[in-house]
Amino acid sequence: MMFWKALRQYRVKGLLILISLPALVLPTISLVYILWQGLPALNWQTLSGEGVTGFGLEHGMFGQIWGSLLLMLGANVLAAPAALGLALFFNLYANDNTQRTIFTLLHLLQSIPPIVYGLFGLFVFVHLLHLGISLLAGMIILAMIILPLLVLNALHALKAISVEQTESARSLGLNDMQLICRVWAPLAWPTMLTGQLLGMARALSETAPILFTATVFSGVLWPSSIFEPVTTLQTHIFYLAQEGGNAHVVSIAWGAATLLIALVLLFSLTALFLRRIDQHHRIS
Amino acid sequence: MILLKPGLYLITSFIALLVLAVPFFLVQASAPFWASAGIMVLTGTEWFPYEMLFGMLPAIIGSTWAILIALFIAIPCGVATAIVTTELVSSSLASATRMGMEVLAAIPSIVYGLIGLWLLLPLLQASFDLLSGHSLLAAGLILALMILPLITLMSMDALKLVSSTQREAGMSLGLSWEALLFRVLLPQAWPAIRGGILLAMGRALGETMAVMLVVGSLDRMPEPIMNVLQPAQTLTSRIGREIGEAAFGSIHFSALMACGLLLALIGLSISLFAHTRVVKA
Amino acid sequence: MPQQLNRIETVVKPVNTMEVEASRLCIDHLSLQLEGRAILSKLSTTLPATGIIALIGPSGAGKSTLLRCLNRLYEQWQGDITWAGQSIRNRDTDLLRRQIGLIGQKPAVFPCSIRDNVIFGLSRQQRRAIADEEIYKALQQAALWQEVEHRLGEPAEHLSVGQQQRLCLARALILKPDMLMLDEPTSALDPRSRDIIERSMMELGRSMPLLWVSHDLDQARRISNHILFMCDGKLIEQSDTESFFNQPKRIESREFMRWSVCDC
Repeated sequence: MMFWKALRQYRVKGLLILISLPALVLPTISLVYILWQGLPALNWQTLSGEGVTGFGLEHGMFGQIWGSLLLMLGANVLAAPAALGLALFFNLYANDNTQRTIFTLLHLLQSIPPIVYGLFGLFVFVHLLHLGISLLAGMIILAMIILPLLVLNALHALKAISVEQTESARSLGLNDMQLICRVWAPLAWPTMLTGQLLGMARALSETAPILFTATVFSGVLWPSSIFEPVTTLQTHIFYLAQEGGNAHVVSIAWGAATLLIALVLLFSLTALFLRRIDQHHRIS
Repeated sequence: MILLKPGLYLITSFIALLVLAVPFFLVQASAPFWASAGIMVLTGTEWFPYEMLFGMLPAIIGSTWAILIALFIAIPCGVATAIVTTELVSSSLASATRMGMEVLAAIPSIVYGLIGLWLLLPLLQASFDLLSGHSLLAAGLILALMILPLITLMSMDALKLVSSTQREAGMSLGLSWEALLFRVLLPQAWPAIRGGILLAMGRALGETMAVMLVVGSLDRMPEPIMNVLQPAQTLTSRIGREIGEAAFGSIHFSALMACGLLLALIGLSISLFAHTRVVKA
Repeated sequence: MPQQLNRIETVVKPVNTMEVEASRLCIDHLSLQLEGRAILSKLSTTLPATGIIALIGPSGAGKSTLLRCLNRLYEQWQGDITWAGQSIRNRDTDLLRRQIGLIGQKPAVFPCSIRDNVIFGLSRQQRRAIADEEIYKALQQAALWQEVEHRLGEPAEHLSVGQQQRLCLARALILKPDMLMLDEPTSALDPRSRDIIERSMMELGRSMPLLWVSHDLDQARRISNHILFMCDGKLIEQSDTESFFNQPKRIESREFMRWSVCDC
């Protein structure tokens, strides 16, 4: 009896560990593989493109990094006020029904695949509004993609503020603006900042929606206005992967991938770090 | 101060307008296609834009297979990982796993595409003796790797949220480790785990770059239908491949918009399903 | 309360009541550190074989922790605990926990029907073969039968908190435990539910030992046959209820009864 029980216990645990092994092993392998391939490729020559020809490599990567960052910043600058505004509206003026509708709509928006936003942007901004393949079109599309994330995060931040604090501020006679600036803002900003950083990481890693609305393969180093196309790291990796074959191209692609991951992780890990500090702060 | 209320109303209505604009323009852009080809293209098996054949079925089947393969691998693996990390190993190992999963979740999809293209495809090619390795299986495997962190993280959160009083109550009744897991923890964490699975499904559905690089972009029905080792096409990879060549205003362009509309509708119904089930529970 | 405490009763009690009765659970120099802090230190005692044993003391004294050591929810203690002459370290954990039931402060019912909750702790075969009389008996012992007789299939969450707590009792009792531990089982309840539980527990205490953590001195005096007084992880005083309240041996006990605090 005891023996069978021990065997059974061992069997279930063993099976679970066995099934979970790929999840513990594969990610490590992938990450190590990327770094192993990518780190050697990152040197001054590939970054600056000196003495390299073909495949759009002659300009190096600075232009692409710049393009990626521009798109990311633009998307966040466009989306942040909208998200903040909607979150404040939700908390100040929306009744229960409106709140439920907004909530449902946000979840629905989040469930539309990014490439569909790309198609929408291609049709409306690039063609109907004659923006052409441009930085601006890409910014707006990315802004739409990260908007639900930012709003939900802002709602979360405001929800974490206790009702008592809001009520006592109200009973002291604070108006809406004072309530926002003097009670909500100081309490909610760490979570808001976390959300913004996550939005940046998200905007940096989206590739498909900007592939045919904002970027070109090569020929642009520094866009002179927001109505011009750009080159970005993420789409450049894609083009290189398409060309394939040439060992030099492959190694440059891994290098660019490593660089992109480093940029994305810079934002998302800072966000996670902030969140952890915030939680810790709140508990103690 | 006076501007606050109208300002917020303005922002909200602007966003609402944008939300309405997405389905409206998708329908408008794809309308010429629906008008010329009819709803029956959904079951058509031939897609040759230059001969005006726009059968959607191969890509729909392709997307379905890729998602099913991904879920088939990622669900057991992710949930088991969550159980092992939250219930079996020390908390420091658990937070290390969590950290690793969060890093993985942050890796852009294009990078997964590179892994698929230059690591997975040669492996598949060698082990199944294929021409190039481009296949639905490759797409499914790379999608599995991409949604694994999502399912694992959501399941970990779900298991952690089962209250300690419930745990203690189960343990004081002398439930064994498995009984506690299968009768107390998993049933209570299941709604949240299911939410994570549906979210992952939506992610897999809309994933474009990685799939596009490994799926082979060959628009024909798998022969036989269970064959996932052939090059094939998914809805997203078709859009990504062809939108650059389709001229604005052509039926081809409109057909790709219709693919986008289809993607949006499937995504929305997954989300609605998740939402109603959660509200009911 | 003060007048109760000052009331002098002269009842002659047998000397060393505790040792006369056959003991089942012995704790020997039990110590426990959690996160570097000593929660229990060198606690030794022997519990009587029947009756309600009230475990009292200021909050943070380690009362709840002690209960969780006895059914091995905490395992990292030093010293020894023996149950019917055998160290509980050598026993099967799951079996031990079925023999020593634990009722928590707040009822934790599982999200299933009332009936399923009652039989939750049984094995699959037992659940399938369970006779309705068993369920009836357990619910009757927990004084819940009359209220749920016709609604056994309803979700347990529909019950009031007091009823849920009694459901937890029934759930533990159907396992036929040799001993019950109750961790402030009535602190979250209304007075009426408290009375019902107290009455049924006093009935139950005739046949098995009940280790009852209470922060309410009145309640301890009302229900218990024995008192264990703990403070700061140490056992300060152990005696039968009457002599504890009438002639406390230790100055800390006296202080605690007067001001509900003590400085140990």
